[in-house]
Amino acid sequence: MLASVERKVALVLFVLSVLYLISSFQLPAFPYAIVDADALPKGLGFLLAALSIFLFIQNPVEDRKKSDMNKEEVLMLLAVAGLIFVYILLFELLGFVVVTIFFLLVTSRMLGYTKWKTLIAVSIGFTLVLYFSFNYLLQIYLPQGILPF
Amino acid sequence: MDTISNMLYGFQVVLTFQNILFVFIGVLAGTLIGMLPGLGPISAIAIMIPLSYGMDPASALILMAGVYYGAVFGGSTSSILLNAPGISGTVATSFDGYPLAKQGKAGKALAIAAISSFAGGTVSVVALMLVAPLMASFAVSFGPTEYFALMLLGLTAIASLSEGSTVKALISATIGLIIATIGVDQQTGTQRFTFGNPNLLEGIDFLIIALGLFALAEVCSLILSRKSKMMDGNSNVGSLKITKQEAKEISGPIARHSVLGFILGVLPGAGATIASFMSYITEKKISKDPSSFGKGNIKGLAAPETSNNAATSGAFVPLLTLGIPGSGTTAVLLGALLVVGVQPGPLMLTDHPDVFWGVIASMYLGNIFLLVLNLPLIPFIARILYIPKALLISLVIIFCMIGVYGVSFSTFDLYLLLAFGVIGFIMRLLNFPAAPLILAFILGGMMEQSFRQALTISNGSYMTFFDSTVTIVLLVLSLLSLTLPFIKSKLSKKTGEEEKEHLAS
Repeated sequence: MLASVERKVALVLFVLSVLYLISSFQLPAFPYAIVDADALPKGLGFLLAALSIFLFIQNPVEDRKKSDMNKEEVLMLLAVAGLIFVYILLFELLGFVVVTIFFLLVTSRMLGYTKWKTLIAVSIGFTLVLYFSFNYLLQIYLPQGILPF
Repeated sequence: MDTISNMLYGFQVVLTFQNILFVFIGVLAGTLIGMLPGLGPISAIAIMIPLSYGMDPASALILMAGVYYGAVFGGSTSSILLNAPGISGTVATSFDGYPLAKQGKAGKALAIAAISSFAGGTVSVVALMLVAPLMASFAVSFGPTEYFALMLLGLTAIASLSEGSTVKALISATIGLIIATIGVDQQTGTQRFTFGNPNLLEGIDFLIIALGLFALAEVCSLILSRKSKMMDGNSNVGSLKITKQEAKEISGPIARHSVLGFILGVLPGAGATIASFMSYITEKKISKDPSSFGKGNIKGLAAPETSNNAATSGAFVPLLTLGIPGSGTTAVLLGALLVVGVQPGPLMLTDHPDVFWGVIASMYLGNIFLLVLNLPLIPFIARILYIPKALLISLVIIFCMIGVYGVSFSTFDLYLLLAFGVIGFIMRLLNFPAAPLILAFILGGMMEQSFRQALTISNGSYMTFFDSTVTIVLLVLSLLSLTLPFIKSKLSKKTGEEEKEHLAS
């Protein structure tokens, strides 16, 4: 079972290296370079191909950590990833303050934090402190979005 | 004499209100983030990088260096109190530190850790101050072939020294190099692997990779372990006092391992983790009473704690004098330096002496801050371990987002960050080490440049790589370092036994 996981990974890597090599060979040539832009990518592509073959044939290292992931946990990870995705989607649209407060509330609640009062206070306080210190102290402007400040 | 006047100059740079504040912020943030189990020094530095935008280079490096050695310092606290090392460099600390805490001597263990860390850090800063200029004057004569070979050695060393399969580590490094080829080629202007996407023209920013592969992937692990509390009710660490007898006992290990740690830190690929394990093993070997190790022997606590902090300053030697990082963490530091517009290397001593001597001087100050933070204030600081994980996780995610958005102001990079977070987590699941990837990514551009420079100078002849003795020696060393895993497998068997004993006790 373990070996087959390792081998699948090796196969994926091999396919990756082939794709990378194909696009390396399609790079346009530059007439005045002794070593052109495609030299290194080609070398790396072959190197990755060779290494993935090694990975395929070698014996898997035995001391693997047993992953204790059940379905519920995988779903949780996917849910957090989904929330991050939504966060990015709305980031510039609604602005940093609104989306961040929303994200902190939903994510922390979903991960099992139940003290609503603390949660609301932390979410709003943290977001506002970050927003104002970035915008006014560091002059890194985070998206303002629908808010007037 | 020269060194003394240079050091005075360094202190002149540091002892402004602003820079003292940055040292303090750096070590405090480092201690806090390092203490949190799961978040390592790379995440700590990457999370703090946005603060340095727009700073002058000396202040930026002073801040970032503070975060780094602060994280190594802080990592020991959670090793001792929770048996959950905050960072990998303090795993060996938990072998004897946690048993001490279980015996109700947590305060004593924390005090010993703080004093050893302080001594290790300070001794190795002195060594750094003496060695770095010598190294820089030697490296001034290096040409592109030497640099290429040196970076190659860095990569092979980190691949062969990282945990687990060497093939996997090499694959990580190769993928790092491949990611580095994305973007416009510096020499010819050819667009490589951008797929017509204008966001990829300048390549992928290192911060995206550092935050994705480390911070976000670590967040995933935190999510999986969110139900276990970091700290249970007991916050009483007990007395921090150390007796004279104990002070005498740990002075030997401290002296030995500050030197050993520094040397291991200078070497490419080694760093704090390996230094701390090596020190623990040697200290156990030369001990008259090896069976007491793992049961709360204060020497077994002092040795790795001294060593990991000494290695941290040691790692600055190649970073500052050659401009070549030897580990994932220093690679991220280098990235931070490049953002503020400083290229470290042998010329930094003459071009940016304020950065060079400033950061060295700041380390003296930083170590003193750390001692104060970690000795009398530790019971208060350890309260950060009470932060509920659910809150911590979402806050860290926001920090990652802001960090990346602050570099590019584009949401495309945020999607990339998410993608690298997923990749980083998958790599963890499959036991692919991430440190070689980030190091290779940072070195990639420089390696390609020196490789092509060398061949352009020699008009395409590969013999140029065999012209200089230094290059040949470095190339041979990189080949040899690939045989290290065999030696290491013997060593790791020993540490494996060590851990088993530790578990059994």
